[in-house]
Amino acid sequence: MRSLRRFLTRLFTSVKRRQQEERLREEIEEHLALETADNLRAGMPKSEAHRQAVLKFGAVEAIKETYRAEQGLPFIETLLQDLRYTLRMFLRNPGFAVVAILTLAVGIGAATATFSVVDAVLLRSLPYPNSQKIVRVWEQAPDGHRMNMAGSNFDDFRTQNNTFASLAGYEDGLSSVSGGSEPVRVDIAAVSSDFFKALGVEPLRGRVFVSDEQRPHGTPAAIVSYGYWQRYLGSATDLSRLHLSMEGAVYPVVGVMPPEFDFPAGVAAWIPSELNPELPSRSAHNWRGIGRVRDGVTVAQARANLSTIARRIKQQYGKEADLDDAAVVPLADAMVGDVRTALLILLGAVGLLLLISCANVAGLLLARTSARRKELAVRAALGASRGRLVQQFLVESLTLSFAGGALGILIATSAVSILPAILPANLPRQQGIAINASVLLFALGAVIVVAVSLGLFAAWRAAAGDLQEALSAGSRSYSGEGAGQRLRGFLVVGEIATTLVILVGACLLGRSFMRLISTSPGFRQQDLITMEFSLPIPQGQVAMGASALTHQIHLLDEITTRLRAIPGAETVGVAGAMPVAAGDDLPDGLFLILNGQKPPANFDDFGRIAQNRSQTGQALYAIADRGYFRTMGIPLIRGRLFGEEDSFDSPNVAVISESLARQRWPNQNPIGQMIDFGNMDDNLKPLTIVGIAGDVRARGLNFPPSPIIYVDYRQRGMNANASPTIIMRSDAPTGEIVASAHDIFHELTPNVPVKFSTFADEMGGWLADRRFLLLLVGLFGVAALALAAVGIYGVVAFSVTRRTQEIGIRMALGAQRSDVLRLVVGEGARMAGVGVVLGIVASLVITRLMSSLLFGISATDPLTFVCVAVLLSLVALAASYIPAHRAMRVNPVTALRYE
Amino acid sequence: MKQKTDVLQGTLALMVLKTLDVLGPLHGYGIARRIEQISGDLLAVNQGTLYPVLLKLEQEGAIASEWGASENNRRARFYRLTRAGRVQLQAETHGWNQTAAIIGRFFAVKAEDLS
Repeated sequence: MRSLRRFLTRLFTSVKRRQQEERLREEIEEHLALETADNLRAGMPKSEAHRQAVLKFGAVEAIKETYRAEQGLPFIETLLQDLRYTLRMFLRNPGFAVVAILTLAVGIGAATATFSVVDAVLLRSLPYPNSQKIVRVWEQAPDGHRMNMAGSNFDDFRTQNNTFASLAGYEDGLSSVSGGSEPVRVDIAAVSSDFFKALGVEPLRGRVFVSDEQRPHGTPAAIVSYGYWQRYLGSATDLSRLHLSMEGAVYPVVGVMPPEFDFPAGVAAWIPSELNPELPSRSAHNWRGIGRVRDGVTVAQARANLSTIARRIKQQYGKEADLDDAAVVPLADAMVGDVRTALLILLGAVGLLLLISCANVAGLLLARTSARRKELAVRAALGASRGRLVQQFLVESLTLSFAGGALGILIATSAVSILPAILPANLPRQQGIAINASVLLFALGAVIVVAVSLGLFAAWRAAAGDLQEALSAGSRSYSGEGAGQRLRGFLVVGEIATTLVILVGACLLGRSFMRLISTSPGFRQQDLITMEFSLPIPQGQVAMGASALTHQIHLLDEITTRLRAIPGAETVGVAGAMPVAAGDDLPDGLFLILNGQKPPANFDDFGRIAQNRSQTGQALYAIADRGYFRTMGIPLIRGRLFGEEDSFDSPNVAVISESLARQRWPNQNPIGQMIDFGNMDDNLKPLTIVGIAGDVRARGLNFPPSPIIYVDYRQRGMNANASPTIIMRSDAPTGEIVASAHDIFHELTPNVPVKFSTFADEMGGWLADRRFLLLLVGLFGVAALALAAVGIYGVVAFSVTRRTQEIGIRMALGAQRSDVLRLVVGEGARMAGVGVVLGIVASLVITRLMSSLLFGISATDPLTFVCVAVLLSLVALAASYIPAHRAMRVNPVTALRYE
Repeated sequence: MKQKTDVLQGTLALMVLKTLDVLGPLHGYGIARRIEQISGDLLAVNQGTLYPVLLKLEQEGAIASEWGASENNRRARFYRLTRAGRVQLQAETHGWNQTAAIIGRFFAVKAEDLS
C-alpha cells in the first residue's frame, strides 16, 4: 500500500519536477543560511561560518542526485530520455524511420486484417448458448462418405440415443412465398421438433411450434426470420394476422426469430417438417442432422453412441439401409468445412509476409548498428552499462514497431471496411468480421513480439564484438562490420526464400484459376440469361400426373413463346437446374440398364434389379426441353435430341452425355438402349436412349464432365425436386431483356416470383472464393516481392558504401567498370541464388498443403517454380544493379580519400 | 575521521519521525540540529542527506510539509508528523526496542551462562 502510494506520488512528482528542484534549492539555501547564522553566533568569522556550513551540509550535487532519484521514477525517466533520443535520431534520419515503419505497417496491417477474418470465421464461438455442445450429425456410408439422414434412420437415432439432449433434422430449399408485401422466392427450412431447442434459441416474438403443428397433416405454422419480418411483413407486432402462402398451402406466422439468428444461413422462414410426411425410407437422405449433446458428454462419446445405433440399423435392415456408421462434428467446424484450408493458407502467407517485413527491418537496424558502433563505444566508455544500451535499442525498436503497428491497424481497418466487396458470398459467418478487441489484442501481441525480437536482435548485434576496438579502430577498419554484413546477407537470403514460397503459392493459385476459367464447361457461357422461378407443382408427390403436366406444359409454352418474341432473343430453353451454378445441388442417382429385361413394376422390383451392379449406372438427372441444347450450345454427337414426336403418351426418351456413353457402353452404340431412372421422379416408365449430347462439366469446372441423363420435361414434368429455369441466349443488353421478360412473367403468372440472372453472374459467385484467395495471396506475394527487393537493395547499397575505398583501389589498379559491376551485382546474385534454392526446397514441402485448392496443376508444377525463380532472380539483380551502377561511376581518387 | 555506519543512515528516518513527534513542526535545519544534538555529533557532517529522507517520508505519507517563516523570517519548509507517521513511529519504536533488547541480551551473554 505504502509503496503504491509512493509510486503514484513519484509518478506525479516526476511530472512537476522543475517545481520540486526549486523547492530543494530553496530548502538547501535556507539550511545553509540558518547554519551560517548559528556559526556566526558561535563566533566564527563570516567567511569561515559559511564554509563550515557548506562542509557540514555535504556534497550538494550528490544530495541533489539522491533527491532526484528519490522523487522521480528513474526507469521511466531514462525511458523517456531514450524515447526523446530515438525520436531525434529518427528525425535526423527520416528515410530509415519511414522505410522501417512502412515495412512493419504492411506486415502488421496485412496480418491484422487476415486475422480479423480468421477470428470471425474460425475462432469466435457461434452465437448460440453453449455453442460448443451443438453438433452436425450425418449417416456415414461404408466408404466413409457422409450422407444426410434418411427419415427412418433419423427417427431411430433420435429415439435410441442416450447422449443427445436434443436431435433434430432440417432441410432447406427455395420456395415461392407470398402473403407479405410482395411475392418472393426465398429459402425456406423444414425443421423437426427439436430444431430450435438444439440451437438453444427462442423466438424474439411469438413462440416455437407446438405439438399440434408438429404432426402429419396438423395445423400449418411458420416462424419467420427477423429480416423477412422487417422487409416483407412491415415489422407487424400483431402476428395473428400474418399468413404466408407457399406451394399451395397457407401458414399462419407464429413467431419471429431474433435478428442474429441465421441458421441455416439465409433462410427466410421455418416450417415444421412433420406437416408434410414423406414415405418412410432408410436410403432417401433428405435430412441434415443437428443436435445438442448432453452435459458431460463429449462429441466422441456421442459419435460412438450413434455409431452403435447405425450398425444396429444396418444389421436389422441390411440392403435397405446404406449406412454403417454415423459422423458427429461440432457445428462450428462443420460450417467452415473446406474454407478452413483456404483461410489457414492465407494466415500462413500473411505470417510469412510479416516475417519478411521483420527481416527487412532487422536488416535496416543492423546497418544502422554498424554505423553507430562508434557512438555506442563512446557511450559505453562514458559509463553506460550494457543494460542501458540494450534498453536504448529496445526503446528504438518499440517506437518503430508501435508506429508501424498503429499505421498497420489503420491499414487493417480500411482493408476490413472494403472486405465485404471482395469476400466470397459463400464464406460462412463473414458478418462478424470487424476490428474488435480480440483483433486489436492480436495486433498488439504481434507488435510486441516484433518489437522485442527486433530490439533484442539489434541489442545483441550492438553488444557483440569489442566496443573498445570499434573506438580505437579508425574509420578505415571494416573488421567489426564484416559479421554484421554477413548477417544481413543471411536475412536477405531468408527473405528471398520466403518470398519465393509465397509467390509460388500465388502462381499456383493463379494458374489454377486461369485454367479453371479457360476450361470449357461444354457449352457457351456468354449471353445466357437465366430465369429461375417456381411452377405450380402438385403438393406432396413427385411423379407428375397427366393433367398437372398438361397444365405445366401449357403455361411454360405460353411463357417461352412470349419470351422468344422479345426482340433480340435468339433461343429459349427450359431446364430443371442450371449446370455448374447449381453445382453440388444437382440431383444424381442410380439408374437401371434394362438390357431387354422387363422394366421394374414397382420400387421393390427396382431395388432387386439394382443389386446386379452390371445393370446399373450412376448419372445426373437433368430435365430439359428441345430448346435447351440449342440455347446452351451443347452439341448433338449422335442420334437425335427431343422432338415434336415426344409427348406424354409416346415412349419416353432420354439423351445421354458422351462421357456416360463411353463409361457404360464402351465400344457399343447406346442408342436404342432402354434404361430406368424412375427413382428420380417416381415414374417407372422406362426411357429409350435416342441421342448422345456433348459433355458438360455440370458439377463445376474443377470436376471432370459428369455422366448425365437428360429427360424431356414434356414427358416427365418439372417435379418437386427441380428448380425450373428458363434460359435465353441473347446478345441484346441484359437489362432490356430482363425488363421485357419481367412484364411477361408478371402478366402470365402474377404471383410467381422470378429470379433473373446471367450465367456469367452465377459463375462469378461460384468462382468468388477462389478469386478472393488468389487476390489476397497475390497481393501478399507482390508485397513480399517489393520488400525483398528493398532488402536486397539495402544490403548491396550498404556494402557498396562500405567498400567504396576497396572499389577505388581496384579501379586504380586497373579494374574495368564491368569488373566492378560484376563484383557488386555478384553479391546480390549470390544471395538471390542461395535464397531461391532454399525457397524452392521449402516450397516443395509447403505447397503440398494447398493441393486441395489447385486445379489442373500439380503442387510441384515445374514451370511455375522455374518462372517464379527467374522472376525473383531478375528482381534481385535489378535491385542490386542500382547500387552497382553507382559503384561503377566511383572516381578512384575520391574513393581513396573516402572516409 | 570515523566512518558512520549504515545502520545509522537507515535509522535516520526513524530519528526524523521521533524528533517531529517530540518537538512538533520543524524545518529541515531544525530537524538536523536536534538529531545532531541528540546523536552526539554523529550526524555532524552530510546533513544534506536528510532531505532525500524527508522527501521519501513525505511521499509515504508519514510526514507532511508546508511553507512557513523561519526564525530569521525567511521562507522555510516546515515538516510535521501525520497520523500515519505516528502509527509508523509506534510500530518502528516497538520493533527497535525488541531488536535492541535481543541484541543487548546477546551482548550480555558470558561463556558460563551457556554452559
